[in-house]
Amino acid sequence: MVTNRSSSAAGWLTMCVVAGLVAAPVVVIVSSIIDPTPSMWSDLWQTRLPGMISDTVTLLVTVVVGTLVLGTGLAWLVTAYEFPARRIIGWLLVAPLAVPGYVAGFVWLDTLSGPFGQRGVRSIWICAATLTLTLYPYVYLFARAAFRSQGADSRDAARTLGLGPVRTFLRVSLPMARPALAAGAALVTMEVLTDVGTVRLFNVSTVADGVLRVWFSTGNRDAAAELATALVVTAVGLIAIERGLRGSARYNIRATGRPMSASRLGPRSRVGALAAVTAVLAVAVAVPIVRLVVWSFESRRAGTTATVAGGLWHHASSTLVVAGFATVTCVAIGVVIAVLARHRGGIGRIATRVASLGYAMPGPVVAVGAVITLAAFDRAGFVPGRFVFVGSVVGLVFALTVRFLAVGLQGIESGLERVPPAAVASARTLGARPARVAWSVELPAARSAIVAATALLMIDLMKELPITLLLRPFGVDTLAVWVWQATSESMWTQAAVPSLAIVVVGMCAVGTLLAALERGAELIS
Amino acid sequence: MPRHTSDTHSRQNRRLGWLVILAALAGITTACGSDADIDQRTVTVYTGRHYGIEPVFDAFTEATGIAVRFTAGSDPELRERLTAEGDNTPADLVIAADAANIELAAGAGLLAAVDSESLMKLIPDELRSEKNEWFSLSRRLRVIMYSTERVTDPPTSYADLGESRWSGRLCLRPSTHPYTQSLVANLILNRGADEARTIVESWVENKPLYINSDTDILKAVAAGDCDVALANTYYLARLLGEDPGTPVAISWPEQDGSGAHLNVSAAGITQAAQHPTEALELLEWLATDGQKAFSEANFEYPADPNVAPADVLVGFGDFTADVAAVRQLGGLNTDAVDVLSRAGYE
Repeated sequence: MVTNRSSSAAGWLTMCVVAGLVAAPVVVIVSSIIDPTPSMWSDLWQTRLPGMISDTVTLLVTVVVGTLVLGTGLAWLVTAYEFPARRIIGWLLVAPLAVPGYVAGFVWLDTLSGPFGQRGVRSIWICAATLTLTLYPYVYLFARAAFRSQGADSRDAARTLGLGPVRTFLRVSLPMARPALAAGAALVTMEVLTDVGTVRLFNVSTVADGVLRVWFSTGNRDAAAELATALVVTAVGLIAIERGLRGSARYNIRATGRPMSASRLGPRSRVGALAAVTAVLAVAVAVPIVRLVVWSFESRRAGTTATVAGGLWHHASSTLVVAGFATVTCVAIGVVIAVLARHRGGIGRIATRVASLGYAMPGPVVAVGAVITLAAFDRAGFVPGRFVFVGSVVGLVFALTVRFLAVGLQGIESGLERVPPAAVASARTLGARPARVAWSVELPAARSAIVAATALLMIDLMKELPITLLLRPFGVDTLAVWVWQATSESMWTQAAVPSLAIVVVGMCAVGTLLAALERGAELIS
Repeated sequence: MPRHTSDTHSRQNRRLGWLVILAALAGITTACGSDADIDQRTVTVYTGRHYGIEPVFDAFTEATGIAVRFTAGSDPELRERLTAEGDNTPADLVIAADAANIELAAGAGLLAAVDSESLMKLIPDELRSEKNEWFSLSRRLRVIMYSTERVTDPPTSYADLGESRWSGRLCLRPSTHPYTQSLVANLILNRGADEARTIVESWVENKPLYINSDTDILKAVAAGDCDVALANTYYLARLLGEDPGTPVAISWPEQDGSGAHLNVSAAGITQAAQHPTEALELLEWLATDGQKAFSEANFEYPADPNVAPADVLVGFGDFTADVAAVRQLGGLNTDAVDVLSRAGYE
């Protein structure tokens, strides 16, 4: 049919243009390798690069292992065992997602400078512990979903065959959950490789930090872009390895039988389980929040609960507008790309991967890539009148989309994959055009996955700092910018009010995410 | 919107709800993005100095009726943004917290030469660029600070910090910060790259504690985490304002020679300024009527030697400063970064 063919061509075009647009800032940066700077590399090899690599590897391995152990252990505890307040604790364990790494960082830097001293507290191990405590929920969420979906049958079979509870966990439940754990670890890897806020607090010189060093200390944009490219290639390589190891295994092997029932714990184990989760919650949630609350009161007494730009509401509304607008954009573009790529085989897959590249790049690098792209648009004069992309809300949202689209895209893709192909086929047979099938069949079926992706995006965008700092328009002063203005002068008390606000709004998003997950949404396919 | 009999009302309502939220967001965003007062005269500032700058701008607006819009960030990041924006930049005036960074901006062709009689008269030659692309607005010194409780014989030269008696007792700011880079650039200017490197290496051998905040560095000296440190004068002034009993004092370095390392906050008008008249008005105001407010907001010494510094600075006593180096710091920045890297400075 002519109409079908032309709408299909429009689909191809839309998919490629949208994915290309989102990838443009990354391409701008990566294209630096066409004309490499060998002198920069040899200088770096002789000076900082070995240290940067060893710091990055140490930090990455420690945090990935830490989050895997903590996330998997906690997930197993709350799915397999019955203990008091299990349901609430199961939810609370996700709460650290709402605490930005740079906030947890300055809270712990100050808290631990007492016992460890100023010298001892600036250590890669304390940095790793801080990152572990803010990032383990990624692994926890994936692991919990995997353990839940395993159902009772496989575990009961293992137990009937004489395996004890520990061996059942190690030899049946854990291997079955492996793909999910790998997916969680992949997210943690991206966060650690691109972190620039937390590491600098602890004097840890990672490669991402090195990119900023080269860029802003020598003003050599090309050299920094080359280093950033190396980082992206590493990240993409790690993802490829993860996907390769996962192979055709899918973690959502939905058990046809009964859901797994939690075993009762003996009185002593019950105390142990409660003590373990309480300790994690105390360190990951209670200590930061209590310190922030105390500092907030001190800040109120000192009369520093507002900046000259405005009070809490001014900053909170900036955050909500920027994060909200960017979230909606990411979801909308994510839906367009996911729907269009779904039936377009290999090229569709490539389009989604290309559009996801920004997630493997540190925020400031994406920001500068976006500025270069937008400035080119401005010079070309695509938009009539005096409108300028750079420094506008549109420009900021574009850069944020480039950086975080992957977070939404992944969830939306997995939601769409659960739509039965038969439903799509029958709708097409009845004469519905693809756009209509997407609108009335696919998207409604993927609704809870889209809500989950929205919440996850909101959490990430609430916390975002480097891009907003570089690209925010006048009058847009987010909570994170306020935190930065205070912490860059080491005024922790003045940073408390905006930090607390970020955590509170983030908690609401975490709640939405959990509710969506309860309704069957999945974060990854 | 396609209608289906199977669609429940609640689902339609929910969709409607999403649409309303979207529309509201779009509305708010448009409202935020638009220029509110087209008629009012405005000047747009990129500033690397963000501490206490707002009341100064407010005073300017009150005096002249010109509104000030500003974005704060680190000097190098703002310069990178300015470069990328090119002729479309909204920035009219750039204020940097470091002499090297403002000179690098001028070197990159981002700043326009300014022809202003009052600026030429008030700001000494050494404190503005050769082609008058930038003018210093305030001065501060990066000096040796020591614990008055544990140190009786403080170092009197930057090189002295490399003496082995300071091993494990020294606090420094990481080399990512322009203040560190400019100090080393100053050392290179006065002693040559080789000697500068030897000095920096001797600091590194003392296993310094690197803290990326001068405030924290001084607190660490007060608390006993280190005994000697390098920091800017205004941080001590600020700390003494909060707690006059802080047991930290200044040892003016190089007083028999080139003088203590002087750095400046400086400003220039962008090449692509859309409001050059207003920008010049602000720049001149900051050097004249606003001079005292601008420097005192951050406990810096005024750039105009005829304006009296704040009382706390007078209390620091007299000193010799290396005024002649200020213009050269930008040109030596790359060499300084190189020396720091090769010496293994964090």
